[in-house]
Amino acid sequence: MSATPTAAPPQLSLIERHHFLLRRLHSLSGIVPVGLFVIFHLFTNAQMIWPDAGATFQHEVDFIHSMPALLFIEISLWVGIGFHAALGLVYTFTGQGNVKNYSYSANLRYTLQRITGILALIFIFFHIATLRWRWDFFGWFTPFYGQLKIDGSYGKGVPMSMPLTAYALQYSWIVVLFYVIGVASVVYHWANGLWTAAISWGLTITPKAQQRWGAVCLLLFIALTAFWGAAIYGALAYSYQEMTTDQKIVFMEVIPDGREVLIDHGVEVPSEAEAERRQMEYAASHGGS
Amino acid sequence: MIASSPPKTFILKIKRSLGEGKPSHWESFEVPIRPSMNIISALQYVAANPVTTDGKNVEPVVWDAGCLEEVCGACTMVINGHVRQSCSCLVAENLQDGNTITLEPMSKFPVVRDLWVDRQRMFDNLKKIHGWVPIDGTHDLGAGPTETQEEQEQRYAYSRCMTCGCCLEACPQFTKDNDFKGAQVFAQIEYFNSHATGKELAAERLDVIMEPGGITDCGNSQNCVKVCPKELPLLDAIASLGRKTTVHAVKRFFSGKK
Ligand code: HEM
Ligand code: SF4
Ligand code: SF4
Ligand code: FES
Repeated sequence: MSATPTAAPPQLSLIERHHFLLRRLHSLSGIVPVGLFVIFHLFTNAQMIWPDAGATFQHEVDFIHSMPALLFIEISLWVGIGFHAALGLVYTFTGQGNVKNYSYSANLRYTLQRITGILALIFIFFHIATLRWRWDFFGWFTPFYGQLKIDGSYGKGVPMSMPLTAYALQYSWIVVLFYVIGVASVVYHWANGLWTAAISWGLTITPKAQQRWGAVCLLLFIALTAFWGAAIYGALAYSYQEMTTDQKIVFMEVIPDGREVLIDHGVEVPSEAEAERRQMEYAASHGGS
Repeated sequence: MIASSPPKTFILKIKRSLGEGKPSHWESFEVPIRPSMNIISALQYVAANPVTTDGKNVEPVVWDAGCLEEVCGACTMVINGHVRQSCSCLVAENLQDGNTITLEPMSKFPVVRDLWVDRQRMFDNLKKIHGWVPIDGTHDLGAGPTETQEEQEQRYAYSRCMTCGCCLEACPQFTKDNDFKGAQVFAQIEYFNSHATGKELAAERLDVIMEPGGITDCGNSQNCVKVCPKELPLLDAIASLGRKTTVHAVKRFFSGKK
């Protein structure tokens, strides 16, 4: 046994030793998979702008749901955003924003990057909780299903993407405001993040290059803003009158007071007997379920 | 209309304390304005006449200064909420609300007393990054490599740093109790790593800023470059080190070193 005391080198913890890697991964996880997904997602949603009763939009949604390795894509999104958001919160709260005394535009963007990160997190949570997990927040219930069976149960059958998205948005002006702020935050955060990432990784190493790349990021920001603007416009412009009879039946099954909602909008609704007849017909031709 | 004549005196509002961690308070002093007066000469007046606006006799205000021509960095403080050198700050151009100027010590360094802070952290960091060109040896190393005019000019920009701390004071990522190194040291790494002989320690320097507190902790707020009085190309340094550390990390991974 050696008794000579040796000056211990400063011990770095596991996290500290991988500090560089973790921060590079944080940057990467903002760009792909999450950021890339956001682009596709917003592009898909922009299809709601076409005045075709949601056919194009439905086609896109069906395409996504038919993609191979969907579970893999979804898991990588969850891991990516979870990791990015957790570290992002740590970075946000260990910095000392000082935009009040140093109100330069880059510093403003630094502060906005942190604020929009938090807004994005809040927005994404409610967005997924309501549309995907079908949580009901004090009556704010806006379920989303790509397709549903005619009796309102889960399964392929009646295309419901457009009517249910429209219902979610037309629910209240507060929802619209919430979406506008939330999506604008995400889009800003991503576009500005692409700009800073190019500095972090050392792609744009002169102020001139940073300026040029900044113009590209700005264009991207404008394009994405146009996409989600189109989506929200499409969802608000959609009229329940455009629904097929089957869509109306499903709508009345899944939305609380669905029948009243439709009648309030002056939609001609099938009678309960008619609805039941169609549902029975469907069950018979599909061997019941 | 009556043309307003320039004020004859102004108020110097100073944040005072007996040292780091001690309670601080504000005291105001009325100072006669002389032509081309700067903050240092106003502080000299206060030192000679340490009487507050409410007539209290107080101990003279402590501050630091050296060159009086913006090349040593010793007199750096927060003036009207903005960090800069007090020797090159003219009173007449900085009166707020007509007649007041506020002075605070830099908030990111330990206060020694009043407006005087301890900037040791910056010098310690220069040691950590091997801020020198290694030419010591037991034998004659011969003549050094020649440098082109262009290389010299590029490096000259980085050599202007006076370790004043403005870039760190304005940096939202640099706090009193974290280990972020900040733009000052990044610029000096770029300086020494682009020197033909200084390069020999390039890998060691990159290793240091890939640890916690290193280059990845920069949040790209770009305040540093805005406030640097010597106009160092700090953005170039930060981005260039981003690239070099990325490459260095890949090399380290595949070479198995570190
Ligand atoms: C919609 C999901 C999100 C996307 C697409 C996204 C994307 C990005 C991108 C691309 C970057 C740039 C990385 C770099 O500069 O190297 C970034 C940075 C950042 N994100 Fe996110 N992010 C998202 C959510 C969040 C959330 C929820 C937070 C938590 C508050 C957050 C906090 C941050 C912070 C603090 C930075 C700056 C990191 C740095 O400067 O080192 N992000 N994000
Ligand atoms: S660019 Fe980086 S180093 Fe410079 S002030 Fe901003 S966070 Fe600090
Ligand atoms: S880089 Fe500029 S602001 Fe920073 S210490 Fe050097 S001279 Fe001062
Ligand atoms: S006294 Fe040297 S910079 Fe002001």
